[in-house]
Amino acid sequence: MRGRPALFTRYEADSAMLPTTTQRVWLGIGLVAVVGAAIWLPRDWLILIATAFIASIGVIGLNLVTGYAGQVSLGHAFFLGVGAYAGAAFGGEATEKLIGMGLDVIWWVPLAGITAGLIGAAIAPIAVRLRGLYLAFLTLGLVFLGEHIFREWDSVTGGPGIGRKPGVLRLAGWRFDLDGEIAGYAITREQQIYWLTLIILVIMAFAAKNIVRSRIGRAFAAVRDRDIAAEVMGIDLTRYKVLAFGVSSFYAGVAGALLFTVTGFVNTNSFNLLLSFTYIAMVVIGGAASITGSIMGAAFLTLLPRIIDGLGGAVPFLEVSSTGLLSTSQLERIVFGALIIGFLIFEPNGLNGIWMRLRNYWKAWPFSY
Amino acid sequence: MTATIEKRSPEESIALKSLPGRLRELAAARSDDIALREKEFGIWQETTYGEFWLDVQAAAMGLWQLGVRPGDKVAIQSENRKAWVIADLATQAIQAVSVGLYATNPTAEVAYLLEHSESKVLIAEDQEQVDKALAVESLPDLEKIVYVEPRGVRSYTDPRLMSWNAFMAAGRAAMADEPHRVNGLVDTIDSNETATLVYTSGTTGPPKGAMLSHRNLSWVTESAQDLIGAGGLPNGQPQLLSYLPLCHVFGRLYDVCGALAMGSCVNFAESIETVVADLAEIQPTYFPAPPRIWEKMHALVNIRMADASFTKRALYKVFLKAGMKNADRLLATGSRGFVGEIVHAVGYVLVFRSLQRKLGMQRCQQAVSGAAPIAPEVIRFFQAIGIPLYEAWGMTETTALGTSNLPGSARLGTIGKAVNEEVEIRLDDDGEILIRSPGIFQGYFKNPEATAETIDVDGWMHTGDIAEKDDGFFRIIDRKKDIIITAGGKNVSPSEIENKLKVSPFIKEAMVIGDRRKYLTALIGIELDTVSNWAQRKGITFTTYRDLSEKPEVIELIQKQVDAANEHFARVETVKKFALIPKELDHEEGELTATQKLKRKVLVDRFSEIIEQMYR
Repeated sequence: MRGRPALFTRYEADSAMLPTTTQRVWLGIGLVAVVGAAIWLPRDWLILIATAFIASIGVIGLNLVTGYAGQVSLGHAFFLGVGAYAGAAFGGEATEKLIGMGLDVIWWVPLAGITAGLIGAAIAPIAVRLRGLYLAFLTLGLVFLGEHIFREWDSVTGGPGIGRKPGVLRLAGWRFDLDGEIAGYAITREQQIYWLTLIILVIMAFAAKNIVRSRIGRAFAAVRDRDIAAEVMGIDLTRYKVLAFGVSSFYAGVAGALLFTVTGFVNTNSFNLLLSFTYIAMVVIGGAASITGSIMGAAFLTLLPRIIDGLGGAVPFLEVSSTGLLSTSQLERIVFGALIIGFLIFEPNGLNGIWMRLRNYWKAWPFSY
Repeated sequence: MTATIEKRSPEESIALKSLPGRLRELAAARSDDIALREKEFGIWQETTYGEFWLDVQAAAMGLWQLGVRPGDKVAIQSENRKAWVIADLATQAIQAVSVGLYATNPTAEVAYLLEHSESKVLIAEDQEQVDKALAVESLPDLEKIVYVEPRGVRSYTDPRLMSWNAFMAAGRAAMADEPHRVNGLVDTIDSNETATLVYTSGTTGPPKGAMLSHRNLSWVTESAQDLIGAGGLPNGQPQLLSYLPLCHVFGRLYDVCGALAMGSCVNFAESIETVVADLAEIQPTYFPAPPRIWEKMHALVNIRMADASFTKRALYKVFLKAGMKNADRLLATGSRGFVGEIVHAVGYVLVFRSLQRKLGMQRCQQAVSGAAPIAPEVIRFFQAIGIPLYEAWGMTETTALGTSNLPGSARLGTIGKAVNEEVEIRLDDDGEILIRSPGIFQGYFKNPEATAETIDVDGWMHTGDIAEKDDGFFRIIDRKKDIIITAGGKNVSPSEIENKLKVSPFIKEAMVIGDRRKYLTALIGIELDTVSNWAQRKGITFTTYRDLSEKPEVIELIQKQVDAANEHFARVETVKKFALIPKELDHEEGELTATQKLKRKVLVDRFSEIIEQMYR
């Protein structure tokens, strides 16, 4: 109600994503700023941020299954790979060796997601029977299985050492991956990719937010907090676990399909355990069970190497090449490890937890709780 | 936006005839305005004035079907909820008499009240209340018990039981057959007939049933707007939070009379435990509360601020100090002055706005403390943080209205001036307040002796409160029967000392003793929340309330509070010794009245050993 923001007379208002006008205005301002930033950001930063956008989609997917539904998955790299190759197969150009259907981006991105989602849902019934460490091992197995398949299935993946191009960012004859011109204004390839991935991220993030604030999200949380209790309350465990894996894999598929359009090349050995761990780290650092946290974690870990590179030469002992006492790539790995340890110990709710604490400081004003 | 009552010239008689009549007017004039909100399944479910009036008619027909006729009594025992006001107005609509029982009334009192009032129908909230009524062996007048919450009652076989839904359905069916009966009855209400019985809490003896007429209630409703709304009208519909027991006139004044006067929306608190949360959600426009609530809010702010971080605490301290100065000026002159307004505006942005929001007072145009005396410090505090709190005084027997401080006409420590020109007040030779107004009740039900003692032949009501008059403002000294005369022959007002003690956030209850004794002592009950919070911060371990009360550190803490209170008084009026009550006082055990007032006699008997020890 106007002037009384906590007075809810409808459930729609009670569970609204942006209950107050102030929040809506700030989100609007934020979006305009992010969209507008593309006009003056340099090309390399645009690509980096676009990568962060895409990674965010993948992290949201992992957060749905791990953070919300509580099912530890180390197999995210596998689903990213499935998405990447499905995207390439549906949207890439065919050669004599490779399958490629050359569909528009509006088709091949969802199709890549659906392919990954279906495979995720197909594997899920096995995963439903397991919990905790055992589930982690099972999903770990997927990564190794996937690596083998990607190496061997030459007609889709191009084979090890050769690889293939990802799907083409084409829509009704317009190419997003080439510099273009709209109404006399030149727009670069990087700007287009930035905007395109931003739009997809916004759609996917809002969809995820809607999943988690609705019946399905509440069921996920119930399963996470205590599956037996959830079952007693009438939640169909199998159904919701399958759904969690399916939706999560869909997100991974979309992210995987887009991830390599930025670099323009997919290599078969990209989808290893390290990639899975990186995504888990993004969830932990961003904040488990939080959509905003997923985006923060993905952005933070994607931009971190670039920031550390920037320190190279500026800080004593830190060199860009590996000749000095400490190279930037070494520091990057150290910082990566330290961050995971630090967050797990000091801020298990990740960047989102820090943000929440900051918000609560002002929300509780003038009290402290 | 608000539906206001037409002002009449003084020579006209009271234009409004009855509360149901007023509701009918509102339902016709603004049937789509929200009248009631009740929280169910997590959200506030709304009822419009149109629906409200239909419900009242249905309930009225339901009562008629059950054989209730003009003059019969209908008892309601429930916490505040929609069904309460519907049942109340429905009863009045068919010219019957409603009787409110506190949900906390124990079985023995329920038995007495149902029997004494000769209630024909009981509207009981839930299993708890049904059980109380069923436990009474013989109630010859009681024919039907309507229960609102069916949980736990479904399997009961007593033939008198009926569910609220069945009751309302029967009423609706009857309404379809006889659509004009209720309207006809409302039209023919004789405003000199009794509308409701309000049983006074009775700190001594059994409760007495004050008979209030339709005329009493109508007069209050007509006067309500200028009093409740004296702090200004809101931009939209006024919002009220109904949590004060509706069987008490203070609650009725706001939630029924005030609501109908101004076409307000009444929001029912979920329960007494959730009032703080409900307040924050509703942010009421006008807020009445007894001193206990204000003291508790004051204590809450103190405790929370003590726990707050350095910056927050420092800001709060600075602006509270400035606010206190502003409050004094505002109360004395009615304005903060130019500089004061600027200081307040800055303080509002930095501290007070969010503080008010936390307390649920951000939209509060006027707050009132009544039903018991309050310490001036507490009022000053709320005025300082920008909450316009004023003390008012009234009694069940005057239909809640008596005197009031109002914006621009306030003096700290007094109960203000007569609420309007229709209220005449004078002081008797011994200082007792005598009052005459259209709100004076009809008398005590089935108790002509007590009535004769209270209302004299000239129509003056003897209130039993001793007061002084100072420049038109009345200052209550104490209840006539509570005044202590010490062995030295000095008259002392215990409530003044008790209220000073209760300003401390650590003290919940205080009872000063000293009648015919050498010096004054006090029984003090600690406030569990704040003292346990204090003990935790000091690292003092404790198990129960009693254990906490007996800790030497706690006794030392209370001693400090007593010393601070003593500084305000002359030597004979200081509390020389005190003892902590080893248990929390309770209505169920007869130590407090339903309105949480001390039953002094019971306490003196129950803790006589502790008291005697203080005089040894």
